Amino acid sequence: MHRLAFLWCLAFWLVLAVPAVAAPGIPAAYAPLVVQPTGAPARHEFDLSAALERARRESKRLYVYLGAHNCPFCRRYEAFLEQNAAELVPHFAAQYIVVDLRSSLSVTAELLFIRIGERSLPYTDFQRAIGDERARMLVYPSVWLFDHEAKPLMQMPAGTGTFQTVPEQLEILRLEQ
Amino acid sequence: MRSMNLIGRVLGVGCLALLACAPLAHAAPGGLPAPAAHADSSPEWENLRAKLFPSRAVDSTPGTVQIIAPLRAAYGASVPVKVVSKLPQSAQLYVKRLYLLVDKNPSPVAAVLELTPEVGQADFETRLRVDEYSHVRVVAELSNGQLHMDSRYVKTSGGCSAPPNRDALHLVGKTVLKVREPVAMNQPTPAEVTVLHPNDTGFELNQVTVMYIPPHYVRSIKVSYADRKVFDAELDFSISENPTLRFNFVPHGQGELKAEVEDTKDGRWVGTLALP
Repeated sequence: MHRLAFLWCLAFWLVLAVPAVAAPGIPAAYAPLVVQPTGAPARHEFDLSAALERARRESKRLYVYLGAHNCPFCRRYEAFLEQNAAELVPHFAAQYIVVDLRSSLSVTAELLFIRIGERSLPYTDFQRAIGDERARMLVYPSVWLFDHEAKPLMQMPAGTGTFQTVPEQLEILRLEQ
Repeated sequence: MRSMNLIGRVLGVGCLALLACAPLAHAAPGGLPAPAAHADSSPEWENLRAKLFPSRAVDSTPGTVQIIAPLRAAYGASVPVKVVSKLPQSAQLYVKRLYLLVDKNPSPVAAVLELTPEVGQADFETRLRVDEYSHVRVVAELSNGQLHMDSRYVKTSGGCSAPPNRDALHLVGKTVLKVREPVAMNQPTPAEVTVLHPNDTGFELNQVTVMYIPPHYVRSIKVSYADRKVFDAELDFSISENPTLRFNFVPHGQGELKAEVEDTKDGRWVGTLALP
């Protein structure tokens, strides 16, 4: 009896003691549309065409998240989303399709390409083409908000540090500027 | 059976402790500042007000001056800010001074602009460094002595310590003036002055030497047209690198738009633009 209790307790301890390593990426509760890059290693191209097509069909906006598997700030934002999923998911789901672009810190601005339909542009050119001030520097993680025609809905900040509380995340979803 | 070994007892107690604690575990709140409304005061503003405008009333009723800034900017080192005056600039009553303030910056007085009626319309645009979540304010001092204030709360950080762009140090001081064509005589005419300058804050780290880059920034820009003063700007490192001011001036005839620039290392430069 005591032996069984001990083993159960040991297992429980080990589960708690070993830090949980969350899989990189937007938590499943947000039903993200995961986009993997193609064309590596010469280029890492993320194609938004399918996401935009779906956004058109569902009359929704896109919440495009660019994360890197080896980026601590990405893990922090993803953990925030995970911890607050119950509160945030309904707000995301009502208006947005979450798109999760899976990258790496080694993918710099020159290597990162965004494709929409027939047009594929490197990061800086893409940002300039959409009038995004973040053209100057690629920062992980990054978020873009688009309508279903790939028109940016507002200028987003570099990184996610200024919307890692529930009220601030909701400000972003409401497009408060 | 009765005698659980020491490890077992410790683990057992540990498990119980963890079980007891688990429901109380919460995520860290993220350490972000408490939310603030755009029109709120702050201890820094109260301190600034006492120093800049002792025993003078500062009216924050909307209608005289407005500041436009994003709630979140792309980068803290370059927050676009626009000041809009609702008061026509006439010889009888005009905006005489504009104070641009960033409450929580290490040096909160970003700019003091001394204006004349020659600006025609006292609107200005520039870019500011905002070091942490802070109110950005404009105080307009009218020629009759009244003070009017407007503010916006800006959520960003790291503006004063962001790595500077040091690609074109050989061009430091180059002063460029632009005027929107066509130029209409006797009307407020939009113009822009840009000084290529790193505007070092003193809080930026040289990534190679791991030493802080000493402060070196543009401290004044004096703009005139046909030898008539348009405005004088006293500036600080809270203005972003390559300081740019968009402004208006009223051309009364052919002349030269001139900007005289001085920095904190006594560098002096002049930019000119002849208008037909």
